[in-house]
Amino acid sequence: MNTAATTTTDEHADSHDHEHHDPRLAHHFDSHQQQFDTGKLGIWLFLVTEVLFFSGLFGFYAVYRSLHPEVFLYASQFLDTVLGAANTVVLLFSSLTMAWGVRCAQLGQTRGLLVCLVTTLACAAIFLGVKSFEYTEKAHHGLLWAGMYQSPEHHEADAAAAPAAEHGETAEHAHTAAADHGDESLFEKTKHTLSYMTTVLWVVIVLAGIAFGVFIKKPGKMTLATVAGCVLISAFGMMLGTYASIGYHHFGHAEKPTDEEIQMAETVPAEYAKQKEKVPEPALAGTFFSVYFCMTGLHAIHIIGGMIAISWLIVRTVHGAFTTYYFGAVDFVGLYWHLVDLIWIYLFPLLYLIN
Amino acid sequence: MATVVDSSNPKSNFPIQYRELNYLNCSKGWKSWFFTLDHKRIGIMYLIGVTTSFFLGGLFAMLLRTELLSPSRILMGADSYNQMFTLHGAIMTFLVIIPGVPAAIGNIILPIMLGAKDVAFPRMNLGSFYLWMFGAFFFLAAIVLGGLDTGWTFYTPYSITTSTAVITALMGVFILGFSSIFTGLNFIVTIHTMRPPGMTWFKMPLFLWALYATALIQILATPVLGITGLLLIVERAFHIGIFDPALGGDPVLFQHFFWFYSHPAVYVMILPAMGVVSEVIAVHSRKHIFGYRFIAYSSIAIAAFGFLVWGHHMFVSGQSKVVAVVFSAITFSVSIPSAIKVFNWLTTMYKGSIHFTTAMCYGLSFIFIFTIGGLTGLFLATLATDVHLHDTYFVVAHFHYVMMGSSLVGLFAAVHHWWPKISGRMFNEYWGRIACLGVFMGFNLTFFPQFLLGTRGMPRRYYTYLPEFQNLHILSTMGAYLLGISSTLMVATLIYSIYHGKKAPANPWGGASLEWQCSSPPPGNNFDHPPLAGDPYVMESVVYNEEIGGYVPAECQGDNTGSVTASGDKEV
Repeated sequence: MNTAATTTTDEHADSHDHEHHDPRLAHHFDSHQQQFDTGKLGIWLFLVTEVLFFSGLFGFYAVYRSLHPEVFLYASQFLDTVLGAANTVVLLFSSLTMAWGVRCAQLGQTRGLLVCLVTTLACAAIFLGVKSFEYTEKAHHGLLWAGMYQSPEHHEADAAAAPAAEHGETAEHAHTAAADHGDESLFEKTKHTLSYMTTVLWVVIVLAGIAFGVFIKKPGKMTLATVAGCVLISAFGMMLGTYASIGYHHFGHAEKPTDEEIQMAETVPAEYAKQKEKVPEPALAGTFFSVYFCMTGLHAIHIIGGMIAISWLIVRTVHGAFTTYYFGAVDFVGLYWHLVDLIWIYLFPLLYLIN
Repeated sequence: MATVVDSSNPKSNFPIQYRELNYLNCSKGWKSWFFTLDHKRIGIMYLIGVTTSFFLGGLFAMLLRTELLSPSRILMGADSYNQMFTLHGAIMTFLVIIPGVPAAIGNIILPIMLGAKDVAFPRMNLGSFYLWMFGAFFFLAAIVLGGLDTGWTFYTPYSITTSTAVITALMGVFILGFSSIFTGLNFIVTIHTMRPPGMTWFKMPLFLWALYATALIQILATPVLGITGLLLIVERAFHIGIFDPALGGDPVLFQHFFWFYSHPAVYVMILPAMGVVSEVIAVHSRKHIFGYRFIAYSSIAIAAFGFLVWGHHMFVSGQSKVVAVVFSAITFSVSIPSAIKVFNWLTTMYKGSIHFTTAMCYGLSFIFIFTIGGLTGLFLATLATDVHLHDTYFVVAHFHYVMMGSSLVGLFAAVHHWWPKISGRMFNEYWGRIACLGVFMGFNLTFFPQFLLGTRGMPRRYYTYLPEFQNLHILSTMGAYLLGISSTLMVATLIYSIYHGKKAPANPWGGASLEWQCSSPPPGNNFDHPPLAGDPYVMESVVYNEEIGGYVPAECQGDNTGSVTASGDKEV
């Protein structure tokens, strides 16, 4: 037993405060209003620290973009604007459902709150699914941070050399490179890597589904059932995001391309391959991807944190914790979620829409 | 254990504040401490942790000073020396001074000063302590895993290339940063939402103003250190080319990021100590604080200026001349709010009835040391002299005068001022004052020679030196030994008092702020209902009671004569 609880019991002997018997009111607060205000100020201050946490990255972005604008101009064309825009829409929609959920909580509509939270969780998972595809594809194209970066021009040279000189030394070199990649194209390789992830996700879906089915029947296991449900939704959402991205990419590859275009598209991203006049590759192009992975990676970690928080809200909602005078937690997680959304709203144009 | 007052006894007809059941004895067992949500117990755990780290960092300092007795090898080689000063700096900064006054003393005192039952987020408070422990663990791990030799500033590119445990130490810094953020967040919210009736912003004790200003810095600056540390970890692990010039990164950018936190962090260290001194000087001079609003505003002003001066650490790093001039000018302006505080403390003492208690002695030491530390800062803020003095012992002496001499002496003052409240026991004033004299003399003997060394060109962080510097180095080392012995004596005096000290009355010094209204030590919940707060500096509202050995509210003086002491013990 902890001290606070013990002393509270002790003080109850002569306490006239009947409110203190309300389990929803912590012992050191006088009223629900005070408790709510405290939490609200706390979450706003926490969001301030989050903004400053990201500010280091935005500061770095500003410094580097002003010093090396050509790097950003060149490298941002490798990011898939459509996928980025899709993710933006998904996150914006999740912000809507979150705000709607807060409203439901305020009005005491538990069922509505549950639906909204589940939708938000699913959207977050879809976002991560799309992001997994993007990361995997970047990795297979060698578009990684400065230390691991491989120039796409290098691929291009290989690709051009391959059909031109079948027997020359360059061709051998190209063949070695191709052998490294295996017989699969890069897109196939991306799909292949993702298939590991989706296999794991399928296993998770099946297990979580079984757990959900088993626990939902047992009255004492409501928390476990809800957690299993949250895992199920998250895995399903990620699956959806991943498959949607793969499908979209298939579609992009299917526009009756010439052989040369196929060759190009397999070695460098399709959009870059289609360009007629190419921007010359600047030195330090990898720095852009350092920025890209740091910023979006940190953002993705925040998405995962938000998913955990939302799952916690779902568990509490199922237990009927929230009432019209006690909905602070929903409100606070909602504010956090809006901030994570807002950061993406900045990241999307800063990284994807440079032209 | 003290006898519990029988409630049927008419003599114990005291309000709840004076009951015998206190936060120290209301529950037992290790779980009641390690899982406690009580701000006072968390504060005690912080205090123990900070003291332990202080002696660890101090041990490193002793070893360093011993090595510097002679230009040649005495104890360790040059590499060990590099690791020693890095760990001394890192431990003292991140584990001792930053959490010292706010997390340890602030945690215990802030809610009681506010008449609140606890801080706003007790669980987060406990979490912050465990983060501190976790961060400290990473530091220890760094010592085991090959040490750390970058200096506490982790400057790139050396921190990217060195083979020592930079990542482990940075993880420690990152985690400690979050500990600090949570403490600050808790304090701001608590002060905003949990003030008692009657306590307007300008009726808050100045210690709360100082903690508020500190918390603002903790919240606004620490996240930047967090991301900087994280980026450096990623840079070392994955080579992202942000700070590494070999990959096109910018090492000076790291310095900007680092000092954007670490300069405000200097004010995280000094501001709470200033708040302590504001309390100590007023209470022990038995006089209303002079210039309340000026002291309050100057805390906020220092916090605000603190964010705009980081460039003065980089005058020789090749930043533009215009920027350097601007940073220099703003740095000069920090001296204005600092001087306002010093003048107000001096004026508070003027015509006061000064009691030379141990806490007051530390308070006076603070003013003396801080004045020297502050004024020598102006030498370094001046561009031309800084080029000469940069990276010499002058800088070392300057920041030790401010960070060690002022922040830690402020912490010592706080511990002695509130020790009766925290432990419920009176320490031995005689030995307390001897220790204070030793700390004061030892400190000045250690660091004043370093000003001289610095102006004569002794560079900082060097393992060896020219033979003509040896006399001053020996003086400095002797001072360090005296400082070490005196701090040990101070802690011994305090620990002795826990077992053999007199029971402390509720208000031994005659403070008028709320924490002196509840018993020593306070009950688990501090106050049943928020007490009515008045002006915290009207010293006439309490009068000395011979029998109790402490002060009682003026209106209660008649009632309590011939009764038990405020804490219920029989008088010795």
